[in-house]
Amino acid sequence: MSGLTTQESVAELRHELRTPLNLIIGYCEMLVEDATDAARRGALERTLAAGRDLLDRINSAVPPSRGEITESEFATLREALREPQERIVVATGELLSSLTSADPDPQFERDVRRIRSSAERLLMVELPHHVERARLTNTGDHPAVETTPPASPVLGAARILVVDDLEDNRAVLERRLRRQGHDVVCAAGGHAALDMLARDKFDLVLLDVMMPDLDGLAVLERMKAGASRDIPVIMISALDDVASVVKCIDRGAEDHLSKPFDPVLLRARIGACLEKKRLRDTELEYLRQVAQVIDAATAVEAGRYESGTLAHVARRSDELGRLARVFDGMANQVRAREARLREQVEALKREIGVARDTPRETARREPPVLAAGELFANRFEIVEEIGAGGMGMVYRALDRELGEQVALKILRSELVSDAASVERFKREIRLARHISSKHVVRTYDIGDRDGVYFLTMEYVHGITVRELLHTRGRLGVEPTLAIACQLAYSLAAAHEQGVVHRDIKPENLLLDAAGVLKVMDFGVARPSGGASGLTEVGLLVGTPAYMAPEQLFGEDFDQRADLYAAGVVLFECLTGRLPFEANSPVALIAKVLRDPAPSPSSLDAAIPAGVSDVVLRLLAKDPAHRTASAADLARLLTQLG
Amino acid sequence: MPTILLVEDNEMNRDMLSRRLKRKGYDVALAVDGLEGVSMALAGGHDLILMDMSLPELDGWEATRRVRDAEATGRHVPIIGLTAHAMSGDREKALAAGCDDYDTKPVELDRLLGKIEALLARPV
Repeated sequence: MSGLTTQESVAELRHELRTPLNLIIGYCEMLVEDATDAARRGALERTLAAGRDLLDRINSAVPPSRGEITESEFATLREALREPQERIVVATGELLSSLTSADPDPQFERDVRRIRSSAERLLMVELPHHVERARLTNTGDHPAVETTPPASPVLGAARILVVDDLEDNRAVLERRLRRQGHDVVCAAGGHAALDMLARDKFDLVLLDVMMPDLDGLAVLERMKAGASRDIPVIMISALDDVASVVKCIDRGAEDHLSKPFDPVLLRARIGACLEKKRLRDTELEYLRQVAQVIDAATAVEAGRYESGTLAHVARRSDELGRLARVFDGMANQVRAREARLREQVEALKREIGVARDTPRETARREPPVLAAGELFANRFEIVEEIGAGGMGMVYRALDRELGEQVALKILRSELVSDAASVERFKREIRLARHISSKHVVRTYDIGDRDGVYFLTMEYVHGITVRELLHTRGRLGVEPTLAIACQLAYSLAAAHEQGVVHRDIKPENLLLDAAGVLKVMDFGVARPSGGASGLTEVGLLVGTPAYMAPEQLFGEDFDQRADLYAAGVVLFECLTGRLPFEANSPVALIAKVLRDPAPSPSSLDAAIPAGVSDVVLRLLAKDPAHRTASAADLARLLTQLG
Repeated sequence: MPTILLVEDNEMNRDMLSRRLKRKGYDVALAVDGLEGVSMALAGGHDLILMDMSLPELDGWEATRRVRDAEATGRHVPIIGLTAHAMSGDREKALAAGCDDYDTKPVELDRLLGKIEALLARPV
């Protein structure tokens, strides 16, 4: 017959039940002997009577002659023990509450607590283990009683700290929890518990409320104020009034269990608590990993991102894992692109190095207006002439007020012939100052001296792309892409501020020794020849070649005209020639307006098709067919690179 | 006053019973397990031994046997076996192991004291 114990098991059960009674009756008899106070004596006698009642019920249900017991008989016995057991809990509660701090009686208090814990232990007695196994496989004659705990724990093993000053309580809880598959560690007091929590990791704490050295509520408060705040705590107490329970929950306890425990309730509460902790841990882990992704984004911005940093997050199967995988892939692509850009810039630097070493032909078209050493506007000491363009002569000068070198551009008088044009210059310079890019030569100021207008700008020690092309003929794909990317960044920054350059050409693109490209004359450039590009002979050559068709037509044009000009520059860098060439400006303009631009790769098969296509797209007659913006161009180029 | 050696592993049982015996005028020596009990018993100086039978490692039955074996040719110290098992046949088993008497837990003190006094009064 299943569900029956062996004779030894019944003896073990009897031992489990009678041992606490030995303590209840023994301590009680002793305290009754000492009792002088009538109320105290009354409570003790009620306790003693209840103890004897318990013993009778046990002896009746499990007499020494009894060799077996069924589960239902055991459940009935446990129910029968509940009433006298509760009488003991109530009576000992009265005894403990009669104690005052003014009249302490530690020995008495300890003995009463032992009586109470022994009574609590009674209802925690379970059938011996092998009987429990028989019950779990029960197939018929004796169906499992309603109080049977679930067959297996809801969760896996947890590490539980049991804190109780009474050895017996600790032992019973430890054994019960171990049976449920948990790993159990015990502490005999509040201080010991806090020490263990500081040293070890736990999934759950079962914490007795009433302890002599440091009570459970104080332990709970310290836990919730410290590093153990996330460990769930179930308070265990003989006090089950609402105020006591609320006090525990208010101070951060997850749950409250009243002694004596119902085994089923204990298991269910622990299971629920651990499940809540598991969910909370999962949520915390999720948030921690979200923070890691955010940190990784910061690292990418700072150039510190290491590939694989998010590997463990990327293993997640949810959306966060997907985000981490995509992020890691993108970050790696960015790194690869940066590496390629560095290579391109290195190639450009080599070209610059060669060009700088090559003696330049300084075809001076007119003698300098200002001589070296001359002081201009009582502030700028001329160092040397560094260029002569459509807008006027350019000098390197020392700004005596600031002690810095500047580029000083003396504007041709026709550019600032009236107050309106001067005002427009000033307005556009103010606008251009808002451009924030290391790829833009900063314009400082506009001034005049005796009617001669001049600009001061950032001085860049380098060469122009024109000089580079003049020396090298044409550049390779890598140096061209290095120029293209930086030009795109520069235009993107300017266009974002609403500034259109209007005269992008190799002469306006400066390269310093490190290969950094800087665009000159933002906000001040005036394409030679005005809208038509035809009226001022002598200033015309070389400029209409970079002008977009809509610009040549004199139509309204926007930032996409700069993109067209960039396409011409890149075409020239790649092939060493312009997309449209003619013997006269008129013929040139006709070609620009009429002929399709040749493909760079048709002129040199070594030019990759992707690069060639981007250049052709920039050279589209219709602005709508060009890349939509400089930022788009930058993206296209990085994908190419 | 006679000295009683109480061999009991449960701290509360030890505390409770020893205090009750002291109240009755006995000197009480304590051992917390079977090995310590045997060792203290053989060291002598006790008039009677109260031996819990459910002890870890070396149980009360075996401890009693060892004490009896060791004192085969010497002084016989009475031993009362104590158990909460309360199985039929426990008493016979205890006597067979060498106990002079046997009692069950929960202890009925008057009954136990009667047994103690009877054994102490027995001529050596």
